[in-house]
Amino acid sequence: MSSASEETTKGSTLRNAFGGVLGFFILLLIGILAFSIRLFSVIKYESVIHEFDPYFNYRVTQFLTKNGIYDFWNWFDDRTWYPLGRVIGGTVYPGLTLTAGTLWWFLNSLNIPLSVETVCVFTAPIFSAFAAWATYLLTKEVKGIGAGITAAGLLAMVPSYISRSVAGSYDNEAVAIFALIFTFYLYLKTLNTGSLFYATLNALSYFYMVCSWGGYTFIINLIPMHVLLCIVTGRYSSRLYIAYAPLVVLGTLLAALVPVVGFNAVMTSEHFASFLVFIIIHVVALVYYIKGILSPKMFKVAMTLVVTIGLAVFCAFIAVLVALVASSPTKGWSGRSLSLLDPTYASKYIPIIASVSEHQPPTWPSYFMDINVLAFLVPAGIIACFLPLSDASSFAVLYIVTSAYFSGVMVRLMLVLAPAACILSGIALSEAFDVFTRSIKFQLPKALRMTDSSAGDTNPESAALPNDVKPEKHSSSDKTEDNLKERPSKKNRKKEKENIEKVAIKPKHEKKKRLLVLPLEASVVAILLLIILGGFYVVHCVWAAAEAYSAPSIVLTSHSHDGLHVFDDFREAYAWLRHNTEVDDKVASWWDYGYQTTAMANRTVIVDNNTWNNTHIATVGTAMSSPEKQAWEIFNSLDVKYVLVVFGGLVGYPSDDINKFLWMVRIGGGVFPHIKEPDYLRDGQYRIDSQATPTMLNCLMYKLSYYRFVETDGKGFDRVRRTEIGKKYIKLTHFEEVFTTHHWMVRIYKLKPPKNRIKGKSKKSKSV
Amino acid sequence: MVKSSGSDDARALIRSLRVAYSATPTTLKIIDLYVCFAVLTALIQAVYMGMVGSFPFNSFLSGELSCIGTAVLAVCLRIQVNKENKEFKDLPLERAFADFVLCNLVLHLVIMNFLG
Amino acid sequence: MATSGWFLTLTLALVSVLPLCVAFSAESPTDRRILVLVDDLSIRSSHSIFFDSLKSRGFDLDFKLADDKRLALQRYGKYLYDGLILFSPSIKSFGGSLNTAAVLDFVDSGHDLILSADETASDLIRDIAIECGIDFDEDQSSVVIDHISYAVSEKEGDHTLIASDDFIRSDVILGEKKIEAPVLFRGIGHSLNAANSLVLKVLSASPSAYSANPNSELSSPPSLTGTAISLVSVVQARNNARIVISGSLDLFSNRYEKSGNEQFVTELSKWVFHERGHLKAVNVKHNKAGEKAEPAMYRINDDLEYSVEIYEWSGTSWKPYVADDVQVQFYMMSPYVLRTLSHDQKGRYSTSFKVPDVYGVFQFKVEYQKLGYTSLSLSKQIPVRPYKHNEYERFIKAAYPYYGASFSMHHLSVPQIAGQSSIYLLSSDRTNFLWNFDFEKQISEL
Repeated sequence: MSSASEETTKGSTLRNAFGGVLGFFILLLIGILAFSIRLFSVIKYESVIHEFDPYFNYRVTQFLTKNGIYDFWNWFDDRTWYPLGRVIGGTVYPGLTLTAGTLWWFLNSLNIPLSVETVCVFTAPIFSAFAAWATYLLTKEVKGIGAGITAAGLLAMVPSYISRSVAGSYDNEAVAIFALIFTFYLYLKTLNTGSLFYATLNALSYFYMVCSWGGYTFIINLIPMHVLLCIVTGRYSSRLYIAYAPLVVLGTLLAALVPVVGFNAVMTSEHFASFLVFIIIHVVALVYYIKGILSPKMFKVAMTLVVTIGLAVFCAFIAVLVALVASSPTKGWSGRSLSLLDPTYASKYIPIIASVSEHQPPTWPSYFMDINVLAFLVPAGIIACFLPLSDASSFAVLYIVTSAYFSGVMVRLMLVLAPAACILSGIALSEAFDVFTRSIKFQLPKALRMTDSSAGDTNPESAALPNDVKPEKHSSSDKTEDNLKERPSKKNRKKEKENIEKVAIKPKHEKKKRLLVLPLEASVVAILLLIILGGFYVVHCVWAAAEAYSAPSIVLTSHSHDGLHVFDDFREAYAWLRHNTEVDDKVASWWDYGYQTTAMANRTVIVDNNTWNNTHIATVGTAMSSPEKQAWEIFNSLDVKYVLVVFGGLVGYPSDDINKFLWMVRIGGGVFPHIKEPDYLRDGQYRIDSQATPTMLNCLMYKLSYYRFVETDGKGFDRVRRTEIGKKYIKLTHFEEVFTTHHWMVRIYKLKPPKNRIKGKSKKSKSV
Repeated sequence: MVKSSGSDDARALIRSLRVAYSATPTTLKIIDLYVCFAVLTALIQAVYMGMVGSFPFNSFLSGELSCIGTAVLAVCLRIQVNKENKEFKDLPLERAFADFVLCNLVLHLVIMNFLG
Repeated sequence: MATSGWFLTLTLALVSVLPLCVAFSAESPTDRRILVLVDDLSIRSSHSIFFDSLKSRGFDLDFKLADDKRLALQRYGKYLYDGLILFSPSIKSFGGSLNTAAVLDFVDSGHDLILSADETASDLIRDIAIECGIDFDEDQSSVVIDHISYAVSEKEGDHTLIASDDFIRSDVILGEKKIEAPVLFRGIGHSLNAANSLVLKVLSASPSAYSANPNSELSSPPSLTGTAISLVSVVQARNNARIVISGSLDLFSNRYEKSGNEQFVTELSKWVFHERGHLKAVNVKHNKAGEKAEPAMYRINDDLEYSVEIYEWSGTSWKPYVADDVQVQFYMMSPYVLRTLSHDQKGRYSTSFKVPDVYGVFQFKVEYQKLGYTSLSLSKQIPVRPYKHNEYERFIKAAYPYYGASFSMHHLSVPQIAGQSSIYLLSSDRTNFLWNFDFEKQISEL
């Protein structure tokens, strides 16, 4: 719409200023929209931290605000991964925490006494507004203001992003997406201006991204890919050099400053691509430079010489590189990255990665759910990017292609796809509106005139009219195009060539422009359709924000015929632990609940969601899948006092421990081979009814989940598995139930102390 | 390729390179010298690392990257101030220098931080 | 009314306080009030030597018939006694609120028990013994017979009064003075489960003994023979409650004057009522070498000192415990450091060691289990953190060239920038000295 308004405001500074102010207000509104659409969770539930990881971030932020940055940097946490502990300062991406901590400190120094929790809850929505503005800037660099505003509007409410940034979802991605988009914007800005200033900012923004999220490797691979693409397609320019070379040097140094990355910034294969391209760009720069100062003939001579020598050097270099990579144990690739390239890698080799639903490949409906109509607009956007192809638009295309691939590997990376989809859809929508409104504009007067004059008159006039209109239109469109293409046209190094190109292109342009003028009716209908499409998108996004993605997952609700039910069992259980156990007691549970237990119950846990030690997790998995006595011994050796299990069988909460149990078996069996998955399956089927295997019925997890369950309804009907349980009367000898929440969702057991006396032989004598 | 013709070509090439290079302004030559010095230092450090081993790896990294970084920034500056470069015609010299200084500032602050 | 009521409460309070003062406690672990349950009050006189020795050591004996209707071990949740002597082998069921579970609860709450059976032992007594890990011969009518080492008795050919001097070798259980005469025993034998680490055989039968019915022919080989037969056993439960179980009630009686019985049962009763072999550990301390205060956390490779004081109860006071085998572990899933503590003869044990190069949550663990002594199990949790980021070595020699290089780059950039900019800016028309000067200043400040 705004691109249309831009079209009408040609030359007039007043109208330009008006457009600027309008654009500013639109952006402001988009920011507000992005912020407020994420508040459904606060309105529908409460202002509370969501899910699992955010609790850890929240706890870290609390520590930061209490103890200051130096203590945070050196924090050795002895309340988790007992007895190994975890060096939080060196293993956490500090970006989010520092951001929220700074925000809190800033507000407090302004005498706005907000609690740390409130700041944490609202960090994500605030940064999604920033992300929307960053999208505007980025798209503006690619295709101009109109596309920028459209893309920002789309991003403000794209469901995929909302799912990770609702109020309370205090996770790394909340700030990382902003950092990602902003880094890309600065890269394109540097590329378009060739300014070292923006290059510096770009490096700093990259630093912020590295601080915030492990996804920074996407940037450090995508940008070299784009540079390489530019070089290969002959679009090398010195601006490209300025945009890329300082970024690599400064970016690598800055990344190495983040403790969690450290020397990985130069040691792992994820970063090698950037160094390789760094070398290539230098070679190319040198070649272009020599080409510039030499005569063509001498250049040819130089080329042959350099190519022969260069090839040899290059081969040697590659050989060294390959040897280096091959000598490192994992071939330099970490498991998570390998699973990106080979989608089956994780499920084959690393059950702990495969067990996280976020790491599974997405299904088709999830694409529709998460990016909705954008999926259909993206191809149009790609086409729009090719008319004409600039450095920036080629970057947008590359971005969408790679992120689409990666999102196909892992659901989690759908988040990276979302901004790309928004940018390209924004471009597509804006171009489409541009074309339609233009055709309406030029045909409207014609149509009006047609109704006025007689049929005979109109014929010659109408024949002449397009010719009349065309130059005007052409000049106007040329002007706007020039506005947009000012930088692209500046880019090409050789004026002569460019001129030739322009001359060659011009007729084509003219032809295209003529084709672009569509019939009036079609344009009107198309605009209406687009508006309906947009409306549909908005409705879907609001629905997704309100219904699908706002649940904090620690408080659950369900609607039934007799009204709303609230299940607040998790907090009930954690509060019980906090008030009824000793400060130093250790609580064992599956790793999903580790962060919550440390944050909400303040008790030491054995494993948590930072799954850095597979053996430790496997130990807990083995304990859960062992018979009671062995389990007791394992837990006792870890000084565990309480065991916490999550059980959804009474209320039908599907993501409980029985449903996760096979992962415990697999992960446990991966390290301790006496745990075998087939022992828990009856004919390859996972079942808990009377057909279940004895191993299954006797393992600790089964017993702890279904202990006394039969007392609830007399049958022991599990509402999640929709079956009656196989073993109804369970006797516990080494564990005792100490707490079960209101809806039985969390059950806490205590390890019995060892027997005070050891009994003699069984009382056979009695029967004798 | 016949060897003699190859060496002839090479000689001609070097000569024409020298001629072409002598046309560059002195200021640019100073920058070139500066770049060469930085690259040389980087090479010396790499050789030293090969001999001594990579123990204070952060120091090595910062030393190496400070040289490369300086060289890269200088090349960027050279590109920007080169009058023959049409792309940056409308970029004021002050701006180019200010950017360069800022960039160097950031680079060296980071280096100092990382060195210890 | 009010005054008398007040007076009554005071008396009650005094009455209730008085026994508490002398009750079993961590400070003075010896038992004070002992309930003796008998089948027949005549045991009071027939076993008077044993009882008198207890009384003379300050114990408060309360004799009751085992089927007394008002029998109770606890009132209002408090135990009335510190020890229990069951000299009622033939009782079928106790009177009052007492039963097997009550007796076992009594033991599980840390109280001591002497249980004596004989050939008339009832199922009740056998059950209690089984719960403590002692299996009396299943054949109800069998007694221990020894045709070689027996004491001459009234009846010719009756070899059921056997003599044994196969004592456990433990000064702490049987006292330092050697028991010279053999112990005479008439009663039933029992066996122990070898895997049971809590039970100890104090008096075993001689290799020629066996357990059978003396009045009938041996139809099959006896199930219990030789030294596998235990005559008297002791149990020290995990909570350090002590139990003595004997297959013979006569063992405690006045009847066998010349035997070692008197000394044996007296010493045994000293052990079971915690007059001997009771250890306590106090003042567990650890600190960094050269410091006094106990830190909340250690760093890897710290030097630390650990000390603990161990005392033994002598029946009247705490005496320093002296031994060379007390060890401390620095433990995280497995002991990283294992040190024998050195002592200063005054009960203070100490050692010093270096924290291993591993971070995590460690424990100082002292697991001291010595035959006859109460077990000591101390553990103190202490986290060990890695180096802070500013605790690493700085200014490493090998890195000097790198420092030099980066500083030369740094300093070169100053004149370079200054020179370059001035050349450029002077040559260009748009000279702006102020601007130039500012930047130079900025750089030199850096």
